[in-house]
Amino acid sequence: MPDDIRIGVFVCDCGTNIAGVLNVPELVAYARTLKHVVLADEGKWSCSVDYLGRMQDLIREQRINRVVVASCTPRTHEPLFKRATREAGLNPYLLEFVSIREQVSWVHMREPRAATEKAKDLIKMGVAKAALLEEGEEIRLPVQTDCLIIGGGVAGMNAALSVAAQGFRAHLVEKEARLGGMLNRLCFLSHDRRRMPAARIVETLAARVAVHPNIRVYTGTQVESVQGYIGNYKVALKANGAGAAATVGISTIIVATGMREIEPVGQFEYGCDPRVMTQLQLEAALRNRALGAVSSVVMIGCVNSKNDTRGCCNIGCHVAVKNAVAIKTLHPEADVFILYRDMSLVREEGEAQKRAKQMGVKFLRFPEQRYPEVRTEDGWLRVKVYDLLAGREFEIPADRLVLTTALRGDESVEQVKGLLKVSANADGFFQEAHVKLGPLEFASHGVSLAGCAKAPMFFKESCEAGIGAAMKASIPMKRGYIETEGIVADIDLTACSQCGLCAKRCPYNAIRVDAEQNPAVIKALCKGCGLCAADCPNECIGIVHYTDAQVLAQVDAALEEDPGRKIIAFVCHWCALGGVDMAGVSRLQYPPNARLIRVMCSARVSIKMMRRAFESGAAGVLVAGCEFPTCHYIQGNYAAETRVKRAKKQLARAGFDPEKLWNVWCSAADGPKFASTMRTMARELKLES
Amino acid sequence: MTDAILVIGGGIAGINCAMNAAKYGAKVYLVDDTPSIGGMMARLDKTFPTNDCSICIEAPQMYEVDNHERIEILTNAEVRRVQAGGGIFKIRLLQKPKFVDESKCTGCGACVEACPVSLPDPLDGKIGGRRKLISMAFPQAVPNKVAIDPRCRSGAMRAAGACVGGCAVDCSQCRECPIALCVKACEKEGKKAVTLWQANRNIDIEVKSIVVATGIRNAPPAGDLLGYDRYPNVITNTEFERLMNAGGPTAGHIVRPSDQQPAHRIVWVQCAGRGLGPGRGTPYCSKVCCMIATKQAIIAKEHDSSIEAAIFYNDLKAYGKGFWDFHRKALENGVRFVRARPYVVSEDPVTHNLTVRYEHLDTGELRQQAADLLVLSTGLIPGDRNERLAKVLKIELDHLGFFKERDPILAPLETAVEGIYLCGGATGPIDIAESVTQATAAAMKAVLKN
Repeated sequence: MPDDIRIGVFVCDCGTNIAGVLNVPELVAYARTLKHVVLADEGKWSCSVDYLGRMQDLIREQRINRVVVASCTPRTHEPLFKRATREAGLNPYLLEFVSIREQVSWVHMREPRAATEKAKDLIKMGVAKAALLEEGEEIRLPVQTDCLIIGGGVAGMNAALSVAAQGFRAHLVEKEARLGGMLNRLCFLSHDRRRMPAARIVETLAARVAVHPNIRVYTGTQVESVQGYIGNYKVALKANGAGAAATVGISTIIVATGMREIEPVGQFEYGCDPRVMTQLQLEAALRNRALGAVSSVVMIGCVNSKNDTRGCCNIGCHVAVKNAVAIKTLHPEADVFILYRDMSLVREEGEAQKRAKQMGVKFLRFPEQRYPEVRTEDGWLRVKVYDLLAGREFEIPADRLVLTTALRGDESVEQVKGLLKVSANADGFFQEAHVKLGPLEFASHGVSLAGCAKAPMFFKESCEAGIGAAMKASIPMKRGYIETEGIVADIDLTACSQCGLCAKRCPYNAIRVDAEQNPAVIKALCKGCGLCAADCPNECIGIVHYTDAQVLAQVDAALEEDPGRKIIAFVCHWCALGGVDMAGVSRLQYPPNARLIRVMCSARVSIKMMRRAFESGAAGVLVAGCEFPTCHYIQGNYAAETRVKRAKKQLARAGFDPEKLWNVWCSAADGPKFASTMRTMARELKLES
Repeated sequence: MTDAILVIGGGIAGINCAMNAAKYGAKVYLVDDTPSIGGMMARLDKTFPTNDCSICIEAPQMYEVDNHERIEILTNAEVRRVQAGGGIFKIRLLQKPKFVDESKCTGCGACVEACPVSLPDPLDGKIGGRRKLISMAFPQAVPNKVAIDPRCRSGAMRAAGACVGGCAVDCSQCRECPIALCVKACEKEGKKAVTLWQANRNIDIEVKSIVVATGIRNAPPAGDLLGYDRYPNVITNTEFERLMNAGGPTAGHIVRPSDQQPAHRIVWVQCAGRGLGPGRGTPYCSKVCCMIATKQAIIAKEHDSSIEAAIFYNDLKAYGKGFWDFHRKALENGVRFVRARPYVVSEDPVTHNLTVRYEHLDTGELRQQAADLLVLSTGLIPGDRNERLAKVLKIELDHLGFFKERDPILAPLETAVEGIYLCGGATGPIDIAESVTQATAAAMKAVLKN
């Protein structure tokens, strides 16, 4: 019932930061004239404990049920006002934040009149949206304590031990007959000064796993199917060979499927001459004391790495040095050569190279364009190499040739990828959620990533990743639930045409389609970017706190008066608004034409919203999102970019000038870029006064 | 028995460690010895190999730890005493004064505007960065409060000629600074947040485990390395990072410190100092510098495609996922990679243009290269407070000065003292993703400790 809506508007002076430029009493008086507003108040420092108390008293006394705060920026202060609103007994989703410091007083310091008018508009827009706000709530999904770990190598075993140590149940699935993974094929480990045999390390770890009452080991077993989502997976496990699959209920999953060597068949006589082997095959020979007598060993680095299709293998240089030392230790009289392009040894690894040199290992650098050539003659392998330092070619007779080959993800990756709906790169290494800040998880909630399944790593790094992935999986298991903010998608099935586009577009696999093609949002997995809503052909998806009606109400309110002088700017919360705030903090001055509408992601902005602004007479429209490739929602900005292109075509067909629709991708540090965009727009749209 | 955890260091490792432990349910004290959390990542412009904007991805995490009910952030504070016993650590922290009442400061910046004295920024000084004596660490600082440079209280005002004449009070004793423009500006805003009489504060806490996440630092160019001390246009790679940062002292314009003119010929020197004699250069590979230089060259070319960028390197370290493609992208964009070891740099005293003489490592030839700007990748070295902290925590450092693990193979990230763990740059040169991985693992260990 509209009559029931009682809006309170709280305008902050921020000392003189706002009040020094804007006429705050005028703003307060103006707010009182707006529909549904029953109270408007001026606060010297709204964020002070005193004023928050006063605000809460006023909310209670005046039975306010929608709150508009006009002050600094939601990026830093929204949580504070949300808490205060909640403590006043009101649902925090009934708060709307209006930024009149970063967006107005700090950036239009020399135009107090125009700035005050802009602030009025922003408050009007906030009030218009507030009238349509609905209660929201954090969404919880229960999570039990069974964790599935796919892969029983170093990372998997470490993950299982950490999960089990908390009393949770770890289901450790290994497709081979025994635990250990690649470790079972190594002789010694890199970085291990004590040179413990790898076999002993496997034994130590596997014994810890075996005796742990909370770990159930499934060797010789593969995952056959996975259904459901975090807290609610049904996983079918099938033993190799015959036998029916057993189904287990699982809450979280850790992927630790490891990697393998790419065999360089047909290159450097590999596969033709048994004396040509890969590093792993050499390790097996060393481990089984089966190398035999050797007098000259040549290693070639970067075999099938660092070329047009593939990068550095991350570990090969150090593996080569380690194995060269191992050969030298066994056969001090043998010549050992390492032929390399770049010695990628970091930190203390350089010392290993020094030790190898002291033992007599020879290092020869060959050029990228001129790999060594191998032929057999007189029973010797003859390796022809161009030594860059000497500037000439040598021929080295060898009785063993070891190739440091490229690596790729395990052969099970394709299958696991499909089961878990996650992605991997061309080499079969899984794609983590974020290259820098999300190395241990996938974008979909509940699935973590450990060890060489992500990229080749050393033993120690795999251990750390295993333990870290266990932490990621344990957080929801420890809490007993996952919780997400209530800004989520909501599908109105009555208007839905079952096209399935939303499920396909969702970057988080949060929309599932049932047998009748009806989509359903798994709210706990939804991150509220709004990409689905903006693309829905039937406009039947709402995003809590950013519904079509709410955003359009802001557009309408902004353009009620003098629309021809105004720009509607849709700004993403994470980066573009960061840029806006940065411009504010830096006091960069720009023309006051824009009315900003915050959305969580630029992908939320539908063509309808852009079009509405033009229909209401806006001078221009701006869609501002994160600078590529950054996006808080994986790649919402890319989706927004293509949508803006489509919108331009549609606008042109509808008789609007598509050149008035602008796009900017702005990082949170780039205040100057936002300010200059504003200046350029004002100039080109001829809005300068 | 407490379940609290102390995380020492508020960089990206400390933030992730604190966040994971708090989400798990532990109470966390996140302590940093500077006025803001954020660490080294907050000073970067972009991150390799995706060129993500650094602060854009870090700031949301900073706000998240700041707003987390179980995380208490203590800035400007350091660990002074640790007493272990009964499965817990009794810790005394010393919090140095910011001369600002954090409960009152709203970060509005009126005091910063009012402050008459700016000094060269200790980190951006060579590229013209200046910092007021009262300032915010950076715009996204957490907590978003200002702090007064202690030098203000020890005579820097007077040295800069900003005190009113005839003042008889010794600045270090000054209780009512005769100018105190910051105090007045704050009062004018209706607050009294600037408090010039704050003293050190002891904070006693009890925790069950400690995570050392104190990070790493850039090696300062030692002893006029390649003309760094003499020539204005020789800078370090961290200074270059600030130069290309829109939030840095030049607002992202890549200009020469000597004349503020755009730099057109830029040369990066990797492993700067290596091979020039004992004590010159960092004695090990710092892992990340090759990709940092690659990133900086790509971004420089993005700013202005006519820039001639050359990277002088020894061995290219493109060791991570996507790093090789990043290197190739640089090549495609016209960045030159030269295997070279510079041995001397000279300058034209009039134009301040530089000439780099170098040995081409593929051919052994001696050549020279003209440059407008020379960027030294000096490597990463242990924090200067590692030694003291190790002593306080009774844990060991390795021979390079990084914190030592008791058994890197079977007990990674654990130290000789049960309940004290390591992550991030405290363990040695490391990139952001690896720091985050270690931080998450260290958080697991810290919450699991009985």
